[in-house]
This record gives sequence, C-alpha cells and structure tokens, in this order.
Amino acid sequence: MRNTAKILFVASAVLFVSVEAHADENLFGYVKGVEVIPEGGWELYNTTTMRDDKGLGSYTAFDNVTELEYGVSDRFNVSAALQALALDTSGLVINGYLPGDMDFGLKPSGLELTAKYNILRPAADDFGLSLRYALDYSWIDKHSGQDKDTLSAEFDLLTQKYFMDGQMVLVGNLGLEMTYADRGYIDNLPVDFEWPTDPEMEVEIILGSGLTYRFAPNWYAGAEAVYETEFETEVGQERWSIFLGPTLHYGSAKWWGTFTWFPQIAGGGEQYDGQADDSLHLIEKTKQEFRLKLGFNF
Amino acid sequence: MNGPYSVCWLVPAAAIFAAPASAAVFLTTEQAQLALFPGQTMSAQYAVISSAQAKQIEKIAGTKVRELSPKVWRSSNGGWFYLDQVIGKHEFITYAVALSKDGAVLGVEILDYRETYGGEIRNPKWRAQFTDKRNGAPLKLEVDIVNLSGATLSCRNITTGVKRLLATHELLFGQK
Repeated sequence: MRNTAKILFVASAVLFVSVEAHADENLFGYVKGVEVIPEGGWELYNTTTMRDDKGLGSYTAFDNVTELEYGVSDRFNVSAALQALALDTSGLVINGYLPGDMDFGLKPSGLELTAKYNILRPAADDFGLSLRYALDYSWIDKHSGQDKDTLSAEFDLLTQKYFMDGQMVLVGNLGLEMTYADRGYIDNLPVDFEWPTDPEMEVEIILGSGLTYRFAPNWYAGAEAVYETEFETEVGQERWSIFLGPTLHYGSAKWWGTFTWFPQIAGGGEQYDGQADDSLHLIEKTKQEFRLKLGFNF
Repeated sequence: MNGPYSVCWLVPAAAIFAAPASAAVFLTTEQAQLALFPGQTMSAQYAVISSAQAKQIEKIAGTKVRELSPKVWRSSNGGWFYLDQVIGKHEFITYAVALSKDGAVLGVEILDYRETYGGEIRNPKWRAQFTDKRNGAPLKLEVDIVNLSGATLSCRNITTGVKRLLATHELLFGQK
C-alpha cells in the first residue's frame, strides 16, 4: 500500500500548495482552537495523518478522518466522523502490541461523535474558551491493524488568544481521554507472544499549545506541540511523548488547508526489545507524523 | 494503497478545488466617495502620522497603527473621507469612513470583504451603528456595536478601525 498511499498524500499536498483560491479555519494540525461555526453553518473536514517509522523494520500507517460539522447554535457545534486506516508494517514485532507483518489499504476503522460549546470568544472577550467532548468507537487497533474494540471518551478544555488584531494566534489545550479496549483473539501468535484479550482501561492526559502568525493574507505559519501521557490498569504510566513541529495554514472563504510535520522530540515509558533510540516512545507512537487537514465551508 | 477506499483521498480534494473562489469587491474608492458624499468634489489630502501621534492613537483606540500615511480626502462641503484596511479572518477588509466637518461619522462603506461568514456587515443597518459616533465614543463590540455571529473578528476590527480613524482625525485635522 505504501507507494500508492504516499503518492496520494503527496498529490494532496501539492494541490494544496499550488492552487490559489479561498476558506475557514483549523489553524493547527493537532491542537484545537475555540471557535465554532455559526448557527446553520456546515463544514466538511478531511484529515489525513501519516505515522512513520518505529526505528526498526518498516512501519507506515495512514489515518483518514472525514468529518461533517454543523452549527446547532452560534455557541454549540456537533460533528460526526468516519475514520479509516491503512497500514504497512514488516520486520517489526513488539511483544504485546505488534504481532507481525501487516499490509492493507485504507478501510473504515471507527466512528466519532463530537460536541463543542463555546463559552468565551477570543475576538470579543479577553480570551477564548471552549469545551469539547468526543465519543469515539473503533474496531481496528491503529497500531497493529488487528481486531480491537475501543471506546473512548475525551474531554477537552480549549483556550485561544488573539494578538495584533488577530494576526497572531495562541492556542492552549488540556484534554483527558478515557478508553475501554477489548482485543480480539489471534491465531498463530509467535511463541511466548503476549496478546491479552481481557478488557483494559486507559487514561490519557493531553497538553497542547500552538502559536501561529499570519505572514501574508490567507497564510499562517507557526509551530505546535503536544504532550501526551497514558496510564493503563496494569503498568501504571505506560507511555509519554512530546511532539513538536511546524504548521503551515492557508485559509479563505470557501476552503482551508493545514499541513503539519510533527516529529517526536522526546518520549518514554515502555520500550520494545531491541529499541535503539531510548529517548522516544516507539511502541504506540512513531518517530514522526505528517498531517494534512482540509476543510470546506458550505 | 491496495483497498478500494484509496479513492476517498481524492473526494475532499476534488470538492475543495472545484469550489469557486469568492470575489467580493463591492465598491471602488470613487464609488464609495460618491455614495458617502454625493455630488461633492473630493480632493486628496497629504497627512503623516508621527510616531508620537501613533502612540497616542494606539492608546485611545487600543489597536496598532499599521499605516503612518492615512488615505484621506476632503469633500467640497468640508467633510472628510478615509479609506482604510483592517485584518479580517483571512484577508484584509477595505472600508471607508465619512466624517462631517466637525468630526462625526456620517457613514461607513465596505469596499471589499472575502470572509466565509459575516457578509451582513455590508447591511445598512449594521453600518448605521457608527453614524454620529465621535472621537471618545466607546466603539466597543457588544457595548455600542452589535456583533455578527461567525464574523466576530471582522466586526471587532472594523469597530476598532473606526475608533482609530476618529482618533487619527482628531490629532491630524481636529482644529481644521
């Protein structure tokens, strides 16, 4: 799947940077802003994330999320999303997480429902504040591609501040995600390979921040960072990671696009046997991610 | 990518790139002058804001002075016409403010606006909120100027833009 997927990813990126036209805003690829679309407004998003390189063998995954958002009121939005996953991994076995090689193209993997309520608006108040709630159900493990039922609930506190009449935007996020996961049974596992099929609970804390600057009409350039740490029933703190990278955004009246390169700069927690780089978390994360978000207002 | 869903990648891209860009230049400068000062002759004025004056304006208006050479005309009946730009959600918004001989707002015209939401700022009712405002008026969103949903940043920046122009006019031409 790798070559075709990469070609499509690059093609989307090339189209994104080469067409001069017009949209609305997700200024960042990963951190979230506070703003909502007004009552009766619709927005269609497509987010494609490439997760690449676990430091051993070959690992490339594509997450695609197509989301439709609706403005119930000027303060309250709801959205529904279809998630899809493509995975190509070989030469890498991680006990308890990655039983072996896997290669499949993009296929539906989950659904997500989201609600967002805006309390303070950054352009009218001193700073912006929104609450976000997301309920996510997936049936494929995004790390291994194996069968796994996962139900997650995420609560986010979102803040945003405008500077220089809105030319510079600072965003901060605090999130808490609770996950119930139940793995499917796998035949023919490697000898001594652990693949627990008892349900497990995980709690994740997410901190994010981003700063972006409008350097020309329609164009923003900035940087964003996300810290995540996850606690699991059996091992306590299972992992933590910090991703930090640049973001480029183009927005106009009809559509917008955001591209983010997100390398992992530090991480810890569990490591797999033979992991060469012990300064990163490479079991559930990769060395880097690329994300392209496109939004269309109608 | 082997699966049949690979084409999903192209759907949003096709929708987006097929979308028409919005062209939203509503008035030229001359048309705005004619709308705000019908039948009057307009003469361009030369003015420069000093750095000290810029600081005063920024203090009064609470917003940065980005242009030290304001575009200003005087009408044959003694009024003033200012052409200005403020930051919108994506692009600059060009607008014009007409002032009476004694510095009160006679009217506001939007020359171009290219944002997703908030095209209502062109409605006469929204623009009429600025009429008769003078330097020193609050000119604050949701205090004496009503907000438009989905265009809060544009509304705020036009409101502070008018406030900035009133302060600019007072400092540059207040005695004339």
